[in-house]
Amino acid sequence: MPALLEACAITKRFPGVTALREVSFDLQPGEIHALCGENGAGKSTLIKLLSGLHPHGSYEGELRLDGRPAAFRTIADAQRHGIAVIYQELALVPELSIAENLFLGCEPRRGALIDWEKLYTDARGVLASVGLDLSAETPVGRLGVGQQQLVEIAKALGKQTRILILDEPTAALAEREVDTLLELLRGLRAHGIACIYISHKLDEVFAVADRITVLRDGATISTHPTAATSKTGVIRDMVGREIQDLFPRVAHHPGEVLLRVDALRAAPSRDAAEQLHGISFEVRAGEVLGIGGLMGAGRTELLMHIFGAWGERRGGTVDLGGRPLPAGDPVGALARGLALVSEDRKRYGLVLERDIGFNLSLSSLGRLRRGLLVDEEAEVRANQRFFASLRVKAASLETVVGTLSGGNQQKVVIGKALMTEPRVVFLDEPTRGIDVGAKLEVYELVNRLTAEGKAVVLVSSELPELMGMSDRILMLHEGAVGGEFTRDAATPERLLAAAMGRTPAAA
Amino acid sequence: MKTKFSVRDFSLLLSLVAVWAFFAVTSPQYLSARNLSALSVELAITATLALGMLLVILPGHIDLSVGSGVGLVGGIAAVLVFNHGWPAPLAFLPAIAVALLVWLAQGALIVRQRIPAFIITLGGLLILKGVFWLVIDTHTVPVAPGGRPNLFSLLTTYYLPPLASYVVIAIVMAALVAVTLRARARRAAMGFEVDDPELAFLKLFLTGQGLLLFVLAVNQFRGIPLPVLALGLVALAIQVITRHTPFGRHLYAIGGNEEAAFVSGVPVQRVVIGAYVLLGGIVAITGLLQTAYAGAATTTVGDSMELDAIAACVIGGTSLRGGRGTVLGVIFGALIMASLLNGMTLLAVSPELKFIARGVVLTLAVWMDVKLARR
Repeated sequence: MPALLEACAITKRFPGVTALREVSFDLQPGEIHALCGENGAGKSTLIKLLSGLHPHGSYEGELRLDGRPAAFRTIADAQRHGIAVIYQELALVPELSIAENLFLGCEPRRGALIDWEKLYTDARGVLASVGLDLSAETPVGRLGVGQQQLVEIAKALGKQTRILILDEPTAALAEREVDTLLELLRGLRAHGIACIYISHKLDEVFAVADRITVLRDGATISTHPTAATSKTGVIRDMVGREIQDLFPRVAHHPGEVLLRVDALRAAPSRDAAEQLHGISFEVRAGEVLGIGGLMGAGRTELLMHIFGAWGERRGGTVDLGGRPLPAGDPVGALARGLALVSEDRKRYGLVLERDIGFNLSLSSLGRLRRGLLVDEEAEVRANQRFFASLRVKAASLETVVGTLSGGNQQKVVIGKALMTEPRVVFLDEPTRGIDVGAKLEVYELVNRLTAEGKAVVLVSSELPELMGMSDRILMLHEGAVGGEFTRDAATPERLLAAAMGRTPAAA
Repeated sequence: MKTKFSVRDFSLLLSLVAVWAFFAVTSPQYLSARNLSALSVELAITATLALGMLLVILPGHIDLSVGSGVGLVGGIAAVLVFNHGWPAPLAFLPAIAVALLVWLAQGALIVRQRIPAFIITLGGLLILKGVFWLVIDTHTVPVAPGGRPNLFSLLTTYYLPPLASYVVIAIVMAALVAVTLRARARRAAMGFEVDDPELAFLKLFLTGQGLLLFVLAVNQFRGIPLPVLALGLVALAIQVITRHTPFGRHLYAIGGNEEAAFVSGVPVQRVVIGAYVLLGGIVAITGLLQTAYAGAATTTVGDSMELDAIAACVIGGTSLRGGRGTVLGVIFGALIMASLLNGMTLLAVSPELKFIARGVVLTLAVWMDVKLARR
């Protein structure tokens, strides 16, 4: 019997990066097949290809459906062939009822009008098939995340789906909801619906999957029947590589404690559930603290919250240079010598339509002043200093930032932070989406900062980067500290185990 | 910092010349000294208000209540002068204070309660209108009791004498030349590109000619009208604020990317409230001028001025999403609107057609701007 869906030697290139290298993967009818891998291993790229988001022709290799070559040009194309993806971010309209969401875009009609009666009757049938005991008239916004997820799945099933792809479906679910979901997937399997299941949570993977494929650095590492492998084996396959000496790290001599965080608890907003649960750590002058963790572990939220730009404090304290740092005040944090380079430079870092000079000095205008006016000569001198020392590749300070490459944009964001003369620097994924040369420059910059006696907190999804650059590494797991390691005690297996909430000994 | 002329500025200049040429041909009085003088007063009032509007549009907000505010400010001053016999300068003070407080409150509501500016100021439009009518008791309240000129009425009837007008223009021109030369020298010293000397000279030369023609024309009537001087001072202040202060940079940063500005340590709330308070001050100035120009506070003073102010900003290349807009552009935008309105009044165009023409020009200008921006 031919595979239901097969990917043969798929290679996908982005400018400057090869995301997938000759990846092969197959899905049998009525199978739950788990995809595992670190952040950036290529899982998301692979699903985007299977679901038509990266259209046929943008990659090399071949997709086969029922043994015949398939060429999906759009998402709708893939949907017509029975492939549906449930993403982490749910695509439901909160104000509409469950039934309206289920048939959004393909409402049953009588003439030009919507056949409401049929819509609600059909909706009840679909809801029953996923075991949701809810009125179809309930607005989706009133449901919990877990129930919304089931509605999403029901929506996909309503479209004659044969292959269901779930991308981290349990990231936001409570334990009971996870059980419901896994039970549903087993039920669908019994009805011949195949499923690709992507998750960082190995317990779930081992509970539900028939086979497990591990991707690493854009290549297929292994495919095993679940019974023939173990969690330890999967983690080893995920990490696998030797840490190469890409990292120009120099010996550090940590000094006094500059930042002390104690039992910090925080939530996104007043009436939201807590997302940071009692996190404690300290950073000394002249050292690099690495913070790792899986997607959604709360790394970015932690940095943004300490800086004052995210969430509401529920408890705990932050001391900067021996004095308490108030919550929710980025202006104060910058004035006290704490600077943040955000992970999302386009959203939180840059005013894209303005020039390099405007962006570089934006955080430092209070200092570059003569009376009420900006001291433009001092400003240009400061801008030119960082423009040159960070080696921004652009015609001049008056080049519009939006036209720069990712690496050069990142240098501008870093320059803006450094111009405030911080003592503690937060770097959130500073090398994401930039090329190797620019990465090396960022690493050298980190060394320069520590040599000057500044403290650096480096958040990264890449274990080699964390291990290569940090003096100590803090792994977060679901908003809490999963483990703290000295540089010498850190091994990829231990770090990953801590990130997955398993005790280091068990890994 | 930058003084480059873009295609956009030229398109404004061309539109303006087209408007003038059309009315010069169809209406002989259009280019008369008396009419140009009147036109310059109307321009000054529209442009002053539009410059205030620029301050809140730059960070991505809007204000629909300025028209009602203009009426209210003039109404308070007129009632104090006419009904209560206050001396005009003393009457100005409470009127100005009310404007500053009202706009402080509106700004605070917008940023602290996170209610869209559109809603708050739409409420303001209605409330201030009602309060205005209460203040003047829906009567016509002259600005000068018994027709005797006072400081209030002089706001739009005083003219700088011709000789003084020449002197003022000469000083302005000399200042422009000095500032241009100094800016060029500094840019060159800092290693930036500077305009070709010929182009720089051409710009100054054209500006000089424009100023000279203007002063020659108004001097044939009575000299430079006071509102034009007021506009000059307001424009200078706004230019300095937007281009040369941290506050001004923050306005552009918030409009360009509010989240990035916040994370960069821009005190977003304080800056936006500050912009609204400044706008309140400008509404006060405009209110006094407009009421003086009308001769009395009547129920229609300030009607739809918010729309003209927004239109002038947009025609002048200001982005309603924030982050883009210049003082010079807004003045050009106001000049086009004022020229159009004045010309149509001279031609005795019916009010309904006037509305339609204004709408068409606004739409056309924005469409052109979008086209040019895409290139």
